[in-house]
Amino acid sequence: MSVEIKCDNISVGGSNVTLVSVRNGESGIGMCSSGINPASGDSSTINKFFYIGSDPVININCPNMGSSVTDKMISFSSGFQGVDHDIFDAFTADLNKLNRGDSLTNSLKEVFSLLTDGVYTVYTSEYYPTDGNGLFFWGAYNITHEVRGTAEHSTSIGNRPYRPCFLIPSQPMETYTTKTKQTTDEAVKSRRVQGIAYHLSGFHSVLLKGHHGAVSCAENGIPFKCAVIERVSQPYTDFYPAPVKKTTAPPPQTEETPAEGAEATTPTPTPVPTPAPVAEEREGISGFRSASVKIPLEAFPKDVLRLILETHPDVKPPHFKTLMNKTKAVRKRAVTNNILPREALDNCEMMPDCEMVESAFAIDDISESQLNALLAGDTELNGRIIISPNFYSSIVTACNFLQFKDEQRFVNFSISILENPDLNATHEYTARRLARLSANEKAYRFFKNVIASDDAKYEKFLTVADRYVREYDLNKNK
Amino acid sequence: MAFCDLKPVRVYDDGAGITYYIGDVFAVYAFGAERPVVYSWDMIESVSVTRKELTFKTANRKYSFDRKQLKEQNYFRAVGIIEREHKNHEFAYEHEKRMFPLKSVYTDIIPGKDAYLGSGQVDEGDCVAAFVLMMNLRLVKVLWLVAVLIMLVTFGALHFFVGITRDNLLYFIPISIASGGIVSLVVYLICHAIAKGKYRSIADADPASETQISFVVCKLGFAACESCIYDGHDLIPWNAVDYFVETDKMFIFYKDNAAYTYIPKKAFEKKYIGGISDIIAIMLEQK
Repeated sequence: MSVEIKCDNISVGGSNVTLVSVRNGESGIGMCSSGINPASGDSSTINKFFYIGSDPVININCPNMGSSVTDKMISFSSGFQGVDHDIFDAFTADLNKLNRGDSLTNSLKEVFSLLTDGVYTVYTSEYYPTDGNGLFFWGAYNITHEVRGTAEHSTSIGNRPYRPCFLIPSQPMETYTTKTKQTTDEAVKSRRVQGIAYHLSGFHSVLLKGHHGAVSCAENGIPFKCAVIERVSQPYTDFYPAPVKKTTAPPPQTEETPAEGAEATTPTPTPVPTPAPVAEEREGISGFRSASVKIPLEAFPKDVLRLILETHPDVKPPHFKTLMNKTKAVRKRAVTNNILPREALDNCEMMPDCEMVESAFAIDDISESQLNALLAGDTELNGRIIISPNFYSSIVTACNFLQFKDEQRFVNFSISILENPDLNATHEYTARRLARLSANEKAYRFFKNVIASDDAKYEKFLTVADRYVREYDLNKNK
Repeated sequence: MAFCDLKPVRVYDDGAGITYYIGDVFAVYAFGAERPVVYSWDMIESVSVTRKELTFKTANRKYSFDRKQLKEQNYFRAVGIIEREHKNHEFAYEHEKRMFPLKSVYTDIIPGKDAYLGSGQVDEGDCVAAFVLMMNLRLVKVLWLVAVLIMLVTFGALHFFVGITRDNLLYFIPISIASGGIVSLVVYLICHAIAKGKYRSIADADPASETQISFVVCKLGFAACESCIYDGHDLIPWNAVDYFVETDKMFIFYKDNAAYTYIPKKAFEKKYIGGISDIIAIMLEQK
């Protein structure tokens, strides 16, 4: 049966969402479970892998029985044997179409046909070519390690949608060549979209196409914009505020004659009690979501909704046995002398990390009065929790949010925390976050004062201050 | 997650005109409705699968449909999905007696290359023999006791009513032994009838007794599951059972002193039986 691809544009909360339905897909790109490996002695970790064609590309170990709030252990698969040229050519053709000005849905048809059956959303978004921890993504996954931000649900963000923005490579590091990079150095300047990414888990997506372009962009400070494909399959439930019924005006109060001697006061309008918003319990779930978008059931076209109900993510492809056999093989690594440019690596270190991005999605804004309340050691203002009932968590989130959104406010807030000896539990963390700013004059002056001072309140971050001042001086002299 | 590959099942209830989807979510298209009411499995409070119907209860509503609305394959798939989700979500699950383990006890372990694979339908005769054997395990001493008692009682009765003399002693002893044997045989036949009845009650309740079953035995675990839904990627670890009994036709695995799984030998090629016995003997205690 041939692949059926159907594209729909729907409106969700005023914004346009593109949905792509895939039936009889070729199962050339996807993720599936390879089960528990009892030989490893760990029977609580579920192993999955992401594959392209007949090659397992990324190993994903999901600890805690695959809990959706636990970060995953990720590594580039040792069983990757080589690029499937047909698929790779399809990626190249689709990226070229995108940059010729075609629409997302028209350009990516070949990639869509490689997906497994289901409903996907497609959009373009800017990505940081890092692993979410300041390392350039290509080559950052050679060893299995826990990758921050790969949990499907972030406890700080909760049920809100978020934009994935970190990358995982789909090609091994040895395929990097300076020769290809020289070509992409020029190409990226004129490209509308730099790569194609498939959302994997949490804040991380697999880059299907555009690895060399990512190096060029990171080196030259060009934003790395990707076309992103995300599966829509997770059910979600929101509470709907019940429509407030128009209440009939209260009967006019009978004017009472004021008691003798009492001063005649001008009648003040009595405040009409406004009904508190009631959470209406609706039968069943509200809709289905991907990482970046929540789509209520009513917004889905009928056939698309049926396709979601009829399909299942993480389904094993027909060539599952071949993939499994390859996962046990060991890749012959090519030796390469090509080294990533230093500027690209340095620039990546300065890019926002996962903690910052998470905080940015966790809260909408934070006012000066709320910051002052936090500095006073409170987690509530006017009876409402500012960020979290946990003070340490509130400070961490506020710091990261400000660092992501407004550097100047972040510096001021951090210094205020570090100056306050009552908040010394948060000093070390805050100092380390402040020290991430590479060339900030105010931070430099503060840290210099800290070193010069003998005050015991700075004891916890003296080493951080010392290192920052030394590096700042070194860079200044350069 | 074991059985994660099961494709969602669509059920159309002719009588009520309602369409149900049992999959990653449970969805209900009411008669004439364009949009379904969709429940995630954590919204389901209880599920019951009986001979007649499948019932799903949520906080506010109850949905049930006749089991006949599901074709055999779809029925096994639906039950597989329900049991898969039962493992991850804490809804109450009621079901009839089952011949093979629930899908919720399976773990997502892929059998190695040393796995023995077999398939076949469960034979009623083999199963009844196994049931009788299981009864005999408990009854064998009682049967002997009954036989000896009957012998003594018969001998005593003959002595009381007829009187034993040298002439009739040689007749009375075989008569006593024969009567003990006959009564034991009658008791055995009754046991056989009870065993058959017991098997039939389970077999009638579980349609798996009339379908092709896939059997897997390997060092990592074992499986006995309806072939139409088993893709060979899930196993029950050996620590899920306590010990086993081997008959000439079956391996019977026990858990909490109750039979848990029946693995008929004829489901495998003859040359593999030795290897299978070895694996089972290494992994479990034999009784």
